[in-house]
Amino acid sequence: MEETDRQVPVTVLTGFLGAGKTTLLNRILTEQHGKKYAVIVNEFGEQGIDNDLVVDADEEVFEMNNGCICCTVRGDLIRILSGLMKRADKLDAIIVETTGLADPAPVAQTFFVDQDVANKTKLDAIVTVADAVHLSSQIEDHHEAEEQIAFGDVILLNKIDLVKDENIEVVTKRIRKINPFAKIIKTTKCGAPLKEILNLDAFSLKRILEVEPDFLESDHDHEHDDDVKSLSFVSNTPLDMEKFQNWFGKLLQTKGQDIMRTKGILDFKDENDRYVFQGVHMLMDASPMGKWPENKERSSRLVFIGRNLDTMNLKEGFEACKSE
Amino acid sequence: MTTDLNQFPELDKTKFEQRGIQLEIGVPVTCAVSIGNNIAAGFGDGTVRIFSSGEKHKTLKAHKGVILCMSKDGDSILTGGDDGYFLKISLNGEINEITNFGSRWVDHVAAYNGNLVCSSGKVVYYWDKNKKEPKSLNHDSTIGGLAFDAKGRRLAVSRYGGVTIWKKDYSNKWKSTKLDWKGSHNKVSFSPDGKYLVTSMQENVLRCWRLKDKLDFAMSGYGSKVKSFAFISDTSYLATSGAIDAICWPFDGEGPMGRKPICLPYIGNKQVTFIEPFPDEKAIFAGLSDGSVFLSQIENENNTIIIRSFTGSEVSAIAMTHDKSNIFIGDMNGNTLWTSIWDQ
Repeated sequence: MEETDRQVPVTVLTGFLGAGKTTLLNRILTEQHGKKYAVIVNEFGEQGIDNDLVVDADEEVFEMNNGCICCTVRGDLIRILSGLMKRADKLDAIIVETTGLADPAPVAQTFFVDQDVANKTKLDAIVTVADAVHLSSQIEDHHEAEEQIAFGDVILLNKIDLVKDENIEVVTKRIRKINPFAKIIKTTKCGAPLKEILNLDAFSLKRILEVEPDFLESDHDHEHDDDVKSLSFVSNTPLDMEKFQNWFGKLLQTKGQDIMRTKGILDFKDENDRYVFQGVHMLMDASPMGKWPENKERSSRLVFIGRNLDTMNLKEGFEACKSE
Repeated sequence: MTTDLNQFPELDKTKFEQRGIQLEIGVPVTCAVSIGNNIAAGFGDGTVRIFSSGEKHKTLKAHKGVILCMSKDGDSILTGGDDGYFLKISLNGEINEITNFGSRWVDHVAAYNGNLVCSSGKVVYYWDKNKKEPKSLNHDSTIGGLAFDAKGRRLAVSRYGGVTIWKKDYSNKWKSTKLDWKGSHNKVSFSPDGKYLVTSMQENVLRCWRLKDKLDFAMSGYGSKVKSFAFISDTSYLATSGAIDAICWPFDGEGPMGRKPICLPYIGNKQVTFIEPFPDEKAIFAGLSDGSVFLSQIENENNTIIIRSFTGSEVSAIAMTHDKSNIFIGDMNGNTLWTSIWDQ
């Protein structure tokens, strides 16, 4: 655990231009007195950030030569984070602002793939700022808007003062369909409590056990195949570990480009421990997380967020992993 | 002295630590170079410390933030920082600003015979020693490293997708050639004989080009990123970090293709994080992730001595004075050792 204590948390702030990222950023920087933050901004991003440690990044995305076709990382982040780790003063947190049109996956993957980055920093959460007025049309017109919702751990639905209540309902439903496990916070001027935005540890496996997402089995109504949506599955029959590993490994390998995020808690036959995993595209973090609580029924639950999920026979694949 | 491996855990302080000067600066040592018989070291708080034999070290407040890079330029050093400054600092402590880029970092610096180079983002700036204004050399992606060849005629610039080699033609115009290999290239170096160019990549691998025919090959098998490498004894070997052994690839004769490297093992199974050649000898200083530093003869692995024992922090700089009398060692926690090498 000592290792994790020294890792500086990194919050990724994403969302379309005009949604309110800079407002949120300036709130974080002015309200958290006595804390030292580094802010990594994009050269084309919004201006006017009130901090003495603002670093320009060029959002240089590159593919890793590790045989994993969708494994793209942010080269500039690797360089900047390693530079920041040489500073004399210890940073309390690092905030990475991405441009509206950036895909959040390479940012998240950087923390999985680069050993130096992973040793010294940890991805705390992806915070998506969404404009309640324009989100629906942005989702229709730009796949990036959909992806930013899909990747978010927290979604700030901002500018709700400008939208009628029933429309807020519609937008919230749209978000839920894409991403069932993000926490949605409705705000005007990004006025959410900062403790719901920073230091969430959303990528730790332990955290997945604490905030159980909406693991209800999803209904399969028909939509456009290229829409980003989520599907979840539950089984009360223990799974066969070997069968699951084969199915899931192959699935990520072949469909990892379309599967954006996965999370799950698994109950394997003849295993006393709960297995918890979470993934971004093809990259996955998984570990046994102690025994099942005695007062809790054992069951396996997993969630997929991505595109073309209906074409992957996920239900059949999952069913076939049951041990009996 | 040859280390008796069994006795190592009882070793408290090495004789070098006992007779040298150890400091606990508390901020990362980011770089060190030798200038004559002195060593200049850069730190994460923007200070430069100059160590000279028989004198107390000098501390200079040079940058407002991290010193990211350092290079020797005659009797001075060049430094680049995350404060955007590119500075020239003389041994007596005089600091001159060459330029400053505001919030953009100066990532790499190099010099040859009074001509100065630095990179910030995607641009390399070249100051001809006779000119005031720099020439900008543009690249499509952020620069990972800079290096002159031994004669100062070619400048290699590593970047995403390979290396660009810049050279002035007969009419003094800059011409570039490209060496392509997919991926992100960091540190770059020409072999001292000018025949090879090596880069360390974002993945755990080195890429090498034989320049006469652009034949390229990989040197792989590393457990982590190769952050430090150096040619030894005029291109006999390329010694590299990135594994629990110091990996030394043979570069004599027909080069390393199809040949096995020499692997120099160290006790404790810690990663080698820094390599510094012992000038003119087939020997290296290897710094490890636990702070320990060893001096080894490449062709005789039994001839290894321990220079510094463990500090718990990764070795990030080693430099030896030109007269081979003294050595400086620094790590990421700011523990430094400045000591003479030879028994008095």
